[in-house]
Amino acid sequence: MPELTKAVLTSLVGVLTLIGIMTRPFRWNEAMIAIGGAAVLLLLGLISPADAFLTLVRDWNTFLFFLGMMALSALAEAAGLFDWLAAQAARLAGKSAARLFLNVFLLGSLISMVLSNDATALILTPIVYVLVTKLRLPVLPYLFACTFIADTASFLLPVSNPINVIIISRFPLDLWTFLRLLFLPSLVVIGFNIGLFFLLYRNQLKGSFDIERLPSAEQAIKHRAYFRYTCCVITVVAFAYVMASAVQLPLSLVALSGAVLLLIGAIGWKQISLRQTAKRISWSIFGFIAGMFIVVRAIEDTGLTTRFGNWLIHLSGGTSFGAVMVGTVGAALGTNLINNVPMAVVMISALGGIRHAGPSLQHGFVAATIFGCDLGPNLTTVGSLATVLWLLILRQRDVDVSGLDYFKVGVVVTPLMLLVGALTIWLLL
Amino acid sequence: MRVLCCLDGTNVEQVSRATEMLSTSQPLTLAILYVTDTGPRHDIEHLRERFLRPPDPPPPREEEIRQAEKTSAQDILNEGLRYFPAAEALQRQGRPEREIVNTAAEWQADLVIVCPRAEYGGKRAIGPKSVGHVARFVVDHAPCPVLLVRRLARQQFPIPR
Repeated sequence: MPELTKAVLTSLVGVLTLIGIMTRPFRWNEAMIAIGGAAVLLLLGLISPADAFLTLVRDWNTFLFFLGMMALSALAEAAGLFDWLAAQAARLAGKSAARLFLNVFLLGSLISMVLSNDATALILTPIVYVLVTKLRLPVLPYLFACTFIADTASFLLPVSNPINVIIISRFPLDLWTFLRLLFLPSLVVIGFNIGLFFLLYRNQLKGSFDIERLPSAEQAIKHRAYFRYTCCVITVVAFAYVMASAVQLPLSLVALSGAVLLLIGAIGWKQISLRQTAKRISWSIFGFIAGMFIVVRAIEDTGLTTRFGNWLIHLSGGTSFGAVMVGTVGAALGTNLINNVPMAVVMISALGGIRHAGPSLQHGFVAATIFGCDLGPNLTTVGSLATVLWLLILRQRDVDVSGLDYFKVGVVVTPLMLLVGALTIWLLL
Repeated sequence: MRVLCCLDGTNVEQVSRATEMLSTSQPLTLAILYVTDTGPRHDIEHLRERFLRPPDPPPPREEEIRQAEKTSAQDILNEGLRYFPAAEALQRQGRPEREIVNTAAEWQADLVIVCPRAEYGGKRAIGPKSVGHVARFVVDHAPCPVLLVRRLARQQFPIPR
């Protein structure tokens, strides 16, 4: 096949896959669309099976990290750890709605830091919803707090968001550089997020609640010995993550080891079986990531992503300030168009050209890409701009919709947080 | 007169005072209504989809959510029944504003009593945006007169002329 035809066909399949993920026609699952795109590329001979296989094998750390992370969260949830922590947060609030709001932010930060933003968004959010429903507090501020802090606190550590693992697998950052460029900005952005939310919801947070409406924290614990064991394992895993990041060991090994330890305990104390644990893991995510890796790898061969990367470097003007701003804005907008996993994969492919640039430009782009991909989803929160447009169309047709409340808060708060965070990263470069 | 009293978990005393005033002039047939807002659950579903998960939380969590909503609604209605022992208790799920107007039509209410917004202790009773979107929708769409009840705000006067 002539090179030009090959390049045009590959680009077409790549663009259609990304549009498919963006718009999800007929409510198709994103994994199906990504795998479909990869399958078409393979069938048309636009990428060789060997190349596709090597691409997937090269990113084994990402796949195993996703597996370990989801298993750790599922097993910790089975022990009642999240429910117990939420109940403690409510007790420590001393009946004050505002203090509970702050505690939700702090708890969300802690969970995101150690167990990733998935755990905060998917496990803590429904727990907090149940908690505030029982306490008869206004639900939305607390729900928004969980959703936002999941992303806002997701660049405290390399393990706080799987996106970080995808990016630093390709552009390794030593722990000190990661902490310097992302931990401190994360603290600033978390503080900013909390402050803005207190301002937005000041009227709804002045009340108090009756703690008697809550079951005791002890009731959250399903099996005392397994619960204690889980606390110990998670603590060890948290330290191991930091150590592994410091010596640049694959983080997936720590996550998987922790998950195996928890699984042994869970099976030993008959708390959850291997089958039940497997049911709690979203297997389609692996198909989605694998499909995206293959599609982007094929596009890489056409030189399209390199051109995109060169364009980004050109836009940055070769300065560290430009690198941080362009990286942040580009990644944040991209995550809202095509979800943050594909955007991170596109960005690591596009930024291949910065390897020859100076360290400040290189670090600026990498940190900004992590920052933009992690925090960017807060802009639309409900998923992507396509979802928001769909919700707006439904509302115009007077159909029952939700999700727009999130969007309104996101468009007000997120650009400010992106600006503050990007400036902090630039100052620390 | 058939009066539909809309409870939100914070307003039972205000609604009770309003019905007391009304009952001095004519006998009232009362119903108390609490609507569980399904909006936050849809938000959780959207969030799960963003994280590439099926929209519904796992069954035990889903059950816990349903149970919490049910218990909370029942508590609010039981509290209402202490103030209005003879009232009919109605419980609905959905978008509160739409459920209220539809229930008012189904129950053939002659009057709907609603508060401008849930009172969580902070907002001043009068001023811009003192009427929330639920109350506004009910005023705009109810099939009968609507009585908007709020707490006294004499201390906020005089307002600038």
